[in-house]
Amino acid sequence: MKTILLTLLTLTTAAAQVRYEDIVKGAGDNWLTYAGNFQGWRYSPLKQITLQNAANVVPKWTYHFPDANGLRTSPIVYAGVMYVTNSNSVHALDARTGRLIWRYDDGQAKRRGVNRGAAIYGDSVYFTTTDNYLVSLDRQTGALLFSHHFADASTGTISTSAPLVVKDKVLVGSAGGDTGMRGFIAALDPKTGAEVWRTWTVPARGEPGSETWSDLHEWGGAATWLSGTFDPDSNTLFWTTGNPWPDYAGKPREGNDLYSCSVIALDLETGKLKWYFQFTPHDLHDWDAQSWPVLLEIPWEGATRKVVVHANRNGFFYILDRQTGKFLKATQLIDNLTWASGIDDSGKPVIVPGKDPTAEGNWVCPSVKGGTNWMGQSFNPGTGLLYILTQEECGMFTLSNQKPVPMKNFAGGAATEPGGPVILRAIDPKNGKRVWQYPVGNTSRMWTGVVTTATGVLFSGDDDGHLIALEAKTGRHLWHYNVGDVITASPIIYAVDGKEYVSIAAGTNVFSFGLFEPAQSVPVPVITLEK
Amino acid sequence: MRISAALLLTLPVLLRAQHDQSATPKPNPAIKDPVAIAAGAKLYNQSCGGCHGPDGVGGRGPNLVRQLQSHQLKDDELFAAIRNGVPGTDMPPTSLSDDDTWKLTAYIRALTGPASDSRVPGDPVAGESLYWGEKAGCGGCHAILGKGSRMGPDLSNIGGSRPLAYIRQAIVPAKNDPSRNFALYGKEGVTVTLKNGKIVKGIARNRSNYSLQVVDTKGELHLIQMADVKALAVLNHSLMPEDYDTRLTATELRDLLAYLAKQSIRPASDNAKEDSK
Repeated sequence: MKTILLTLLTLTTAAAQVRYEDIVKGAGDNWLTYAGNFQGWRYSPLKQITLQNAANVVPKWTYHFPDANGLRTSPIVYAGVMYVTNSNSVHALDARTGRLIWRYDDGQAKRRGVNRGAAIYGDSVYFTTTDNYLVSLDRQTGALLFSHHFADASTGTISTSAPLVVKDKVLVGSAGGDTGMRGFIAALDPKTGAEVWRTWTVPARGEPGSETWSDLHEWGGAATWLSGTFDPDSNTLFWTTGNPWPDYAGKPREGNDLYSCSVIALDLETGKLKWYFQFTPHDLHDWDAQSWPVLLEIPWEGATRKVVVHANRNGFFYILDRQTGKFLKATQLIDNLTWASGIDDSGKPVIVPGKDPTAEGNWVCPSVKGGTNWMGQSFNPGTGLLYILTQEECGMFTLSNQKPVPMKNFAGGAATEPGGPVILRAIDPKNGKRVWQYPVGNTSRMWTGVVTTATGVLFSGDDDGHLIALEAKTGRHLWHYNVGDVITASPIIYAVDGKEYVSIAAGTNVFSFGLFEPAQSVPVPVITLEK
Repeated sequence: MRISAALLLTLPVLLRAQHDQSATPKPNPAIKDPVAIAAGAKLYNQSCGGCHGPDGVGGRGPNLVRQLQSHQLKDDELFAAIRNGVPGTDMPPTSLSDDDTWKLTAYIRALTGPASDSRVPGDPVAGESLYWGEKAGCGGCHAILGKGSRMGPDLSNIGGSRPLAYIRQAIVPAKNDPSRNFALYGKEGVTVTLKNGKIVKGIARNRSNYSLQVVDTKGELHLIQMADVKALAVLNHSLMPEDYDTRLTATELRDLLAYLAKQSIRPASDNAKEDSK
């Protein structure tokens, strides 16, 4: 019986191409997008690891990146192969053993920076280099299919986020907003990388919205440095945007600075703006709206309503209508929040005067890191809860009177990050109410996301370098493992040969965990040499 | 031969140690200047090629191409090694002027840098026909931008990532190179017979005592647990043909090299910077 099983375990990846129909189904054995599904849930339907056996989770393998530093990659898994990224490189691993199958390095890239992950579609694995090349690689061999330059790093734009493939488009974002650049989202052709459309997140002079900037249209930021979400029913993309530049100095950009610190809804086919909602008009605290917009259906005033929910760096949690962007509700995500007394009926913050950065420094909560940040949140349809890593950190914001010079590392001031409680919180997305919370540290060094499963198990990380498992319904601790480094990435879940794995990058390694099984003795292979 | 191997291992350490002690001018005015590189080539042929080989791949002295690929030295470290020699080895100090030493440094950089940065003689169009034609037959194993077989290493960026001498040696290895026919351990041609009777033939991408990952002749990937393997046959030599020195004329080899040197996905790199957001 054992022999038969082992024979069946031999896996070949002569699997079919990855189709839109596969991606739209969301995670299963495979994990095909950064957030697991188009709705941004980071949710796995796998059921092998349960509340009862999570205590038996053990490390299965570790893959070390020889040249990494604070990995931020979220793995993609397809047909038993895991794709993980580092700066300007993709590594393809056997997802059962962690052995390297192939790696692609762009040693000629003009910049190095963080990379959050790859995408997969057809027979291609996609990722972007820091200096804005979309690279397509044969998923089985790593052979280069194209490397297409989509933005000029000399204009301040770099690339850090995982591409998102929707139907026949590869969506790429833009980063670099803290030193001046003009944000955009671009749809590229999956076969060639050629641009299909590009939507700028700072309007050109004369375009609607440009009147909300006194100047700096070419350098206003509003970067798009995290993957967005997609609604197949309305063919709409939802993307969040970063802070306006200079981060802490508002004078050179008087007005609301559209479409910074916003969520924008774009037509997939054309990139045309359907609606926008700005969370923090004229932001002065570097509170990018980066955490992705999660797509849900919730009961609302006696009917089911399609909504976008969003936990913002400014410390508030928002519920918006998905079709129109209409503001429905906001609640306080964190306890230490001093810059606004609330959100009014139109969705605008009620500003507390005197909280802008000053020459002497102004103590404001939350800190520049925000009430939450880009770490991946999870929605679990079983518990109906949304899981968000939050931070109760305040900081000093100072203002510089220097003249802004783009790309000179000028943020218009400075902000401190002294540390503070980091708390994993379960929120009821129907009303924004807090259901439970679990403390995960006090130094605010880590940026760990969350994943949850159909069996009600939640995996995340803590400030002390532990991968942790909790009961999703209650926040009860189930298991932890010290990965030996600060975690700055989000866990994912996949299965190969019917075995469920949890995987996360931390520091310079990628780890994969699964349920304990006694080792089977493997005879030394008998190898014949052929001439 | 033993001395060369020892030199290969110790030279980077010696060079770094020297660099710490010697005050040398920092900027290299000759880098990437074609006139200076040409002057440096002359100096190299007069003073260096005798030991390090005319194209830097070694002889009595170490293989500079291989060494500078694995142990990257800064320009001023290279300058210091040329100026001061390497004590305890046959590498003598030189009495060249600063200007000439920089020219020599610039030439060694060009010699050991990516082929796409070098001026390569030959006709790349003729080389392209050879690559994809039957005579050289490279495309039967090596893809370029999705065209050709994906079983062997991808060559889409070979010119952008490897020095010309490295590429030449891969096609026509030196007759006296004992590693000439060795396949890289774990990356050999394999024939795997599984316990279920299935046979997989291809090139291993990774092989350990416990698992094996193979790309077959069609470019399909197979993930295999060694516990499932009944028999494993490993080729004891590289699948790379060994007869290119007779199969191709000198002109054809030059043309093929000119084509390969052009395979670069982007122009020469600037100094990398770190970005964190």
